[in-house]
Amino acid sequence: MNEHENNFESLRRLLVLKRHETPPPGYFNYFSSQVLQRIRAGDTGKSANWLEDLFGQALWLEKLLQAFDVKPVFASAFAGALCLLLFLGIIYAERPEITSQPLLQAATTTTSLAAVSPVSLSQSADQTGIVSSTDPVLSLQPVASLFGQQNSLAQPVSFSPSGN
Amino acid sequence: MIMSAPVRRTDDSETPAPVDEESLVRRARRGDLEAYDELVRRHQERIYATIYHMTANHEDANDLAQESFIKAFQALKSFKGGSSFYTWLYRIAVNKTINFLKQRKNRIHMSLNDLDFNAEHDPDLMALISDKTPRREAGLAELQEKLNTALLKLSEPHRLVVVLHDVQGQSHEEIAKIMDCNIGTVRSRLFYARQQLQALLSDYLK
Repeated sequence: MNEHENNFESLRRLLVLKRHETPPPGYFNYFSSQVLQRIRAGDTGKSANWLEDLFGQALWLEKLLQAFDVKPVFASAFAGALCLLLFLGIIYAERPEITSQPLLQAATTTTSLAAVSPVSLSQSADQTGIVSSTDPVLSLQPVASLFGQQNSLAQPVSFSPSGN
Repeated sequence: MIMSAPVRRTDDSETPAPVDEESLVRRARRGDLEAYDELVRRHQERIYATIYHMTANHEDANDLAQESFIKAFQALKSFKGGSSFYTWLYRIAVNKTINFLKQRKNRIHMSLNDLDFNAEHDPDLMALISDKTPRREAGLAELQEKLNTALLKLSEPHRLVVVLHDVQGQSHEEIAKIMDCNIGTVRSRLFYARQQLQALLSDYLK
């Protein structure tokens, strides 16, 4: 066994380097208090709150926040980028000519159709035996069928200019 | 939780009398958090170091070390005292770490701690890098990375034996108790692990 130990002497010297790896200064000052805090909180070894759950699932978010801690310039750059996005969003929202014009045209067309339809509808209803009225209650009453024809409130309407 | 009389700290200059570990365990088992705090303080550095050397990642080591102490506190009632508290605690930490590493198998990410000041003045380490790199700091950092990469290539049981014996200086007997195997197994694992490491780090060992 001693022969083996001698064979690996240089490796053992190299492994001594691992003993010089130390955690950040002051790390152990708060370690036990963190453990006790988690025990008091009834922690079962899993994350204690939704924020830790979120961090656990989104490692990129944790790394981003750690980067903010380490280098505040990242935080400034991130905030600047957010402000720029907000500014661009406001500018984009204040450009009415792109979307409002087609909407206005559509609204005008609907209004003209609504203005024409009542008269022509009542004339065609007289011819087909459908009672029309401006009274909303009366117009909803179904008319009894006199000749075995089916009568319903919804009838197909055609707008033909020939007048037949 | 039951809070009993305060534990006299060993770093207190007026009352330096160390409290017996067995009585601390008894009190902690009854729910005395102050006694458990003392136990955590006594073992935190070695438990953290073992897990850190196994994972090569400070954040993972921090989480696993904390969870090991939490789990140990919750399982204290089942601790019969057949082995020392220290060995029992080590077993919990080691099992937790090995389970974690099995889950993380293909997602190895190193987050290495800084080397302390003494590393730059270690004659053995200087002898290893002096003829290879012009700048000492760069040489040590490179060596540290290569060494950790090589260790991560070992299987978990082999890595654990090297960490416990060659890095932390534990005896074969103590390692056998922690790993719950016989001393012969510890020795053969250590030999095989060293052989592998020697091959992986041959450039630095000539």
